[in-house]
Amino acid sequence: MDELDLLKKDWNKESSKKKLSVTDIYPMLQKKSSSIVKTLFYISIAELIFWILVNSIPYFSSDTYKQRLEDIYQNDYALTVISIISYAIILLFVYLLYKSHKSISVTDSAKKLMESILKTRKVIRYYVLYNLIIAGLSLIIGFYYAMHNNPEISGKLENFSDKQMLIAISIMTLFTVVFVLVIWLFYKLIYGFLLKRLNQNYTELKKLEV
Amino acid sequence: MNKELEYSFVELLEKHQNIVHKVCRLYTNNYDAHNDLFQEITIQLWKAYPKFRGDAKFSTWMYRVGLNTAITLYRKSKRTINTQDYAGVEFKIKAEDYDNTEEQQLKVLYKAIHQLNDIEKALVFLYLEDKDYKEISETLGISSVNARVKMNRIKTKLKTILNP
Repeated sequence: MDELDLLKKDWNKESSKKKLSVTDIYPMLQKKSSSIVKTLFYISIAELIFWILVNSIPYFSSDTYKQRLEDIYQNDYALTVISIISYAIILLFVYLLYKSHKSISVTDSAKKLMESILKTRKVIRYYVLYNLIIAGLSLIIGFYYAMHNNPEISGKLENFSDKQMLIAISIMTLFTVVFVLVIWLFYKLIYGFLLKRLNQNYTELKKLEV
Repeated sequence: MNKELEYSFVELLEKHQNIVHKVCRLYTNNYDAHNDLFQEITIQLWKAYPKFRGDAKFSTWMYRVGLNTAITLYRKSKRTINTQDYAGVEFKIKAEDYDNTEEQQLKVLYKAIHQLNDIEKALVFLYLEDKDYKEISETLGISSVNARVKMNRIKTKLKTILNP
């Protein structure tokens, strides 16, 4: 006899042991879910807020910076456009995140459900990637701006030998790379931990289709 | 209205709770984890309930939500210190129902199934519930040919675990 057929006989017998009453079930409805999707949702909200804060803290914390920014904005049409675009991009991400979250349905097939979750995760990944690229670019532009427009720094730089210049550029590059790497590792860790099992199961299902 | 919905849901779940218990039994190893998973499946069922239409059978709908929660949504809580061997306890309770060899065989069989991965467990679950390959394939999102092939492989795998 097939092993599983033996089990089948037993399978439906064990109903009497763990019987919950209606009063046992009621309180469960009020409990908080601890599902991956919910955690993912909170993390993505936290990320949105985090990056918005990172971008706006200098504006609120330093008056001179605020003053300078306002000067720039008054004079420079391009910068205004850039900041409008960047807010539009954040809004776009919020919309995409909302939409992909909505599409996660527990009544889909297992494969479809996993795909929706991984798609949501992808939206967050692009958002983070976007912010990292912007952060990296800002650092580079910032260095460049300081080198050319800040008399103190550019004066010093003129006296640099080639070797010193090389070291200075190396340090700046290293700084940027380390900065990006640390954040990237941080995300790898969070999502790697959170989605490890999901990824495993998804790969397993995918393997079946080959 | 909401109270009515809540009432009808709890009534239905109470009636069909065994399905959820069976899912928990396959996917967890101890009482705490069993209860955690049961709780999570209940929440997911309740959240999805307003969209449940009478055209599908409630039990069929439960299979899907239950398995999906176990496979994709459930995060094993940190407090999974293995307190008791689940299978062992159950069989002690029911020992008188079985002759020794069958009891022993079943015990080993449950242990073997616990060694399977999440997807394989889902297949075994649906198989034990006498679902046809069409329903198995729809629940998991794979083709029914692949479901059949995989099921045969699982049977072979179980044989090897049982008779090394």
